[in-house]
Amino acid sequence: MSIEFRAVSYTYPGTRIGVSDIDLAIADGELLAIIGASGSGKSTLLKLLAGFLVPDSGRILVDGKDVTGLKPEDRQLGIVFQNYALFPHMSAAQNVAYPLKMRGIGRPQRLEQARAALVRVGLGDFTERRPATLSGGQQQRVALARSLVFSPRALLLDEPLSALDAALRVGMRDEILKVQRQADIATLHVTHDQEEALSLGDRVAVIAGGRIAQVAPPRELYERPATRAVAAFVGEANLWQGRIAAPGRVALANLDLAADTEGFAPGDVVTVMVRPERIGPAPASGINVFTGAVATDRYLGPTRRVDFAVDGVNVRLHTHVREAFSAISIPPDAIRLLPAD
Amino acid sequence: MGLVTLLYLVFLAAPIALLLVGSVGETWTNTLLPSGFTGRWYAELLADPSFRRAFFVSLKVVALVCVLNALIGLPLAYAIHAAARRGVRLAARLVSLLPIAVPELVLGFGFVLVFSSDTLPWLGTFWIVVAGHLVLTLPYTVNALVADMQQLGLPALEQAAAGLGAPFGSRFLDIVLPLLATSLTSAMLTVAALSIGEFQLSNLVSGFLSRTYPVVLLQAFYGATGFACAATVVLLVLAVLAALATALTGRAGGSMRGGDVA
Repeated sequence: MSIEFRAVSYTYPGTRIGVSDIDLAIADGELLAIIGASGSGKSTLLKLLAGFLVPDSGRILVDGKDVTGLKPEDRQLGIVFQNYALFPHMSAAQNVAYPLKMRGIGRPQRLEQARAALVRVGLGDFTERRPATLSGGQQQRVALARSLVFSPRALLLDEPLSALDAALRVGMRDEILKVQRQADIATLHVTHDQEEALSLGDRVAVIAGGRIAQVAPPRELYERPATRAVAAFVGEANLWQGRIAAPGRVALANLDLAADTEGFAPGDVVTVMVRPERIGPAPASGINVFTGAVATDRYLGPTRRVDFAVDGVNVRLHTHVREAFSAISIPPDAIRLLPAD
Repeated sequence: MGLVTLLYLVFLAAPIALLLVGSVGETWTNTLLPSGFTGRWYAELLADPSFRRAFFVSLKVVALVCVLNALIGLPLAYAIHAAARRGVRLAARLVSLLPIAVPELVLGFGFVLVFSSDTLPWLGTFWIVVAGHLVLTLPYTVNALVADMQQLGLPALEQAAAGLGAPFGSRFLDIVLPLLATSLTSAMLTVAALSIGEFQLSNLVSGFLSRTYPVVLLQAFYGATGFACAATVVLLVLAVLAALATALTGRAGGSMRGGDVA
């Protein structure tokens, strides 16, 4: 295990905000993305790992070594900050060479290594430029090169793409992943962008109210969220309250749905989750086919976002069907039952 | 609008121009402009031992006040800036701003009261003048530096440096000091300009041998008009030089940081 949080708690002095009882492990070479709303504690986790905050209790291990009491400068971690935090009075090469300078490497060697690192991120022609004369994407690459040039023991990414244009952001995702894979080190990636987390993370942790709600590979997180809160936070979801009517049947207001009810007993109150893209217009009758009326219809280009009223239940669906419809089908395998909360 | 600006400039420049004219005028009594041309007022000024002494006292005071401002102001500003608690920050700022809010006269009387006692009998010494100027100018240095630290986003840069392995000393020398060099220089020049022209406090606390130039200048007004003008022009030149230097460093700093985003 390369990064490990063991029962870590921290509260900001004079507030109740912070993180509590965090247990989290990131394997060597793994990229763990943390998502959460602002104020959920995701940046606090990064600051604790970096050493900018000291936990009230619990321990933090890097490469199996306890770093809880170490100062940031002694932790050997590569950090990319939200606004890059490049030193404005130094050239790109000097910025990248700075961590090497701190490790006692002579001026010619460290500048040579820095230039080589900049060439690797495609900035070979910009080594002598000041950060202010570089574009956002270029600054991002300099920051990435600087955080990895000294072979850190782990990589910390703090909302690294949030300052970039939407178009650039998607391209930089691949760039980050490529560089992270080359370095093959444990990476903690903090973001509020769930698409970014799902596309980059080997695993994704959802944090809410200072606690980890779920840690899972992206697909499992999206398709099998552990709680109602996770389902609501990651992607869009229909979340209905229902009751197990019989094995294989869920009652939902006046509707009766066929679903996999394993793990629940008849009479249990459950949250019924269905992703909107799994629901579609249905031509005729069948399993879980309901008739009703379109309440709202939003055109989104590739798809339509439709709110469909069935017997007082609002069903949100995404469909690429352009024609009008009066019945929908909810495939039984698209239905996930979650504990009610 | 243009006319108003012009009139304002004339209003500003007229006394200065008259001083220049008067300093080289032979005689100037009850006329709009002096008559005759002479360099004798400057020669007299140069020969006057009390003016010469005061000039060098002023230079020494200015130099020392600048050095002390840098030595005390930078750590103080850094401490205020780094203070985690808002209350501490506010208190420090209030204390450092007090000398600006309090009239110099009040401060001067305070010095007179405290330093004429038997326990602290330092009134009239050279160092009490330096101390007075330091108290008056330190707020400008501290405020300029604190404002610049916030504008530069120094905490984030320091965190980044720490993350890259830089201990406190390296962070201060490699990041904080170079980034603040410009504002420190321009603060020093402001301090120099303030110290050169300071009269009220100096007049109250300086002794016969520690009089600064403006204090001695007052004496000149009781003598010949041309002499007074020449003596004032010397002060004016010093002040203008300081102002010019301030403007130039400000510009150099601005271009160095380029289109830097905050």
